[in-house]
Amino acid sequence: MARHPVSRTRRLPGAGRIAAYLGAWGYALVLVLPLYYLLVSSFKNNDEIFSDPLGLPDSLSLTKFSTSIHDARLDLAILNSLIVTLCSLAVVLILAVPASYALARAKGRVATAIERAFSLGFLIPTFAALVPTFLLAAQLGLFHTRTFIILFLPATSLPLAVVLLTQFMRTVPDEVEEAARMDGAGNWTVLIRIYLPMVVPGIVTVLILSFLAFWNEYLYSLVIIGPDQAQRTIQVAVPTLRSSLSTDFGVLSAGTVVTLIPVYAVYSVLQRRMEGALMGGAVKL
Amino acid sequence: MATTTMSTTTTPAPAPGAVRPSRRTPRTTVMAVPALLWYAVFMVGPIGAIFVISVLRWPGMLAEVGFAGLDNYRAVLSDTLFWDSALNSAVQLVIAVPVMIVGAFMLGYFISTKPRGYRVLKVIVFTPALISASAKAMIFWGMFAPNGMINKLLSGIGLGSLQHAWIADTSTAFGCIIAIDIWSGIGYTATLYAARLDALPTSVYEAAEIDGAGHFRRMWRIAFPMVREYVGITVMLQFLWTLFTSAQNVLLLTQGGPGNSSTNLSFLVYQKAFVQSDLGYSQAAGVLLFAVGLVGMLVIRRLFRQPY
Repeated sequence: MARHPVSRTRRLPGAGRIAAYLGAWGYALVLVLPLYYLLVSSFKNNDEIFSDPLGLPDSLSLTKFSTSIHDARLDLAILNSLIVTLCSLAVVLILAVPASYALARAKGRVATAIERAFSLGFLIPTFAALVPTFLLAAQLGLFHTRTFIILFLPATSLPLAVVLLTQFMRTVPDEVEEAARMDGAGNWTVLIRIYLPMVVPGIVTVLILSFLAFWNEYLYSLVIIGPDQAQRTIQVAVPTLRSSLSTDFGVLSAGTVVTLIPVYAVYSVLQRRMEGALMGGAVKL
Repeated sequence: MATTTMSTTTTPAPAPGAVRPSRRTPRTTVMAVPALLWYAVFMVGPIGAIFVISVLRWPGMLAEVGFAGLDNYRAVLSDTLFWDSALNSAVQLVIAVPVMIVGAFMLGYFISTKPRGYRVLKVIVFTPALISASAKAMIFWGMFAPNGMINKLLSGIGLGSLQHAWIADTSTAFGCIIAIDIWSGIGYTATLYAARLDALPTSVYEAAEIDGAGHFRRMWRIAFPMVREYVGITVMLQFLWTLFTSAQNVLLLTQGGPGNSSTNLSFLVYQKAFVQSDLGYSQAAGVLLFAVGLVGMLVIRRLFRQPY
């Protein structure tokens, strides 16, 4: 990681280089400005937002936050999002870990076919199957429940989880496993005692990517869980803070900031890992 | 499911004295079955069901279901709304994907050369990967509002005449949707490219530098060919995401309007099913959308596999 950039920076900046600087930082500004606007707006009234959009707020009072939480019952929504996210993460691990161990070790044709089936899943945009999934929820009697979403979301991240973990599992040397088997260890013991500790980085990657996907999921939650305040997730709840006549932009901004807080909190703790996870997930495609 | 037959009968006799563990290749495939079933029930099954529903007459969630044959397809293909949506989707793809990919590649390359401040730049560029579709939509809802930041900035720099009800105006609504795609797509993809380019050996650039190749030359003539296949994969993914998932932005910001000016194919599939309750039509359009996705994928694959 600590590669010295000496040879790259000593040369004089050419015109292309200057253009690149301007372009890159110009885009960075375009990325940051909306977020800054969002943040300052969450402490302001409509009047203040409209008259001075980029100015700092007069006070850091949290009334917009409490109003948004109260109006859209964001407290319930956060709880629901937590339940959905954590349960779905657990299901992903419970399903993907044994599966990837199986696929990494089995050498048959069936295993290869299964692995290929999972890798094709990368290319299925989940949105495509919205309507049939909705009908499936109705068939199962789980329509308008978070339960169905907890069953459904793990399936969407299984392709990535299985393919990625299988690659990690393959790096565990056969000899380690053989030694354990000589001692009479069965599949599950081998998996839990030997493989699991050795593939922790892979599991962290899967957890991070799935966390982002699950916490941020919108369309399926909207269609399947629906408007029930006791069940809906935060991504569905926040947009309801808009009103067709007079939206309180401060309240809407505060609500939106609330959806971002957990993600940025995780990011600030796991920054390196999170970027690594995104790369690991995508580079291995 | 037993793919790994116990090898005692087929392997040559074990070395005398040593009881070779017969579980050299243990039966493990069965442990993949729960995951496979889950995947089949919640993903593969519903995808397959699209094709079935597309030939059914299903005029509402609670209505009686009948067989329609190709009637739905006929209805879709003779509907001007479908063609308008297809045109919108095409415009969206033709504008958003190239801008996104070219911008992202240049930015990713720039970051990978580790310029001054690249660490900060990396963090900023990563942010779109963290923000949900609904948060993004709410942020831009505020920005594009008649009293929002964009209009305010325009009047601030003396371009007040350009002020607009951005997402409520036929001429700009869909452009706003495309802009949001590009806004977040460049950052996300650039992060991926930066990581991929970081993995290349530095020595390749040094030769070029000695030859006096400038910034842009090094970027497109040296870095790009080396990661061409990877770029191909990201193009494919951005193409699919843009084609399919942009229904979310449309739903959150414009609901396809005003008129049908911002209805694209993926939103049409949503709207027909959940607003107009015509499941047959919706899924016939879905099958056509799927076909477009497949053809596009194959074309992109072709383009990036072969040098010329």
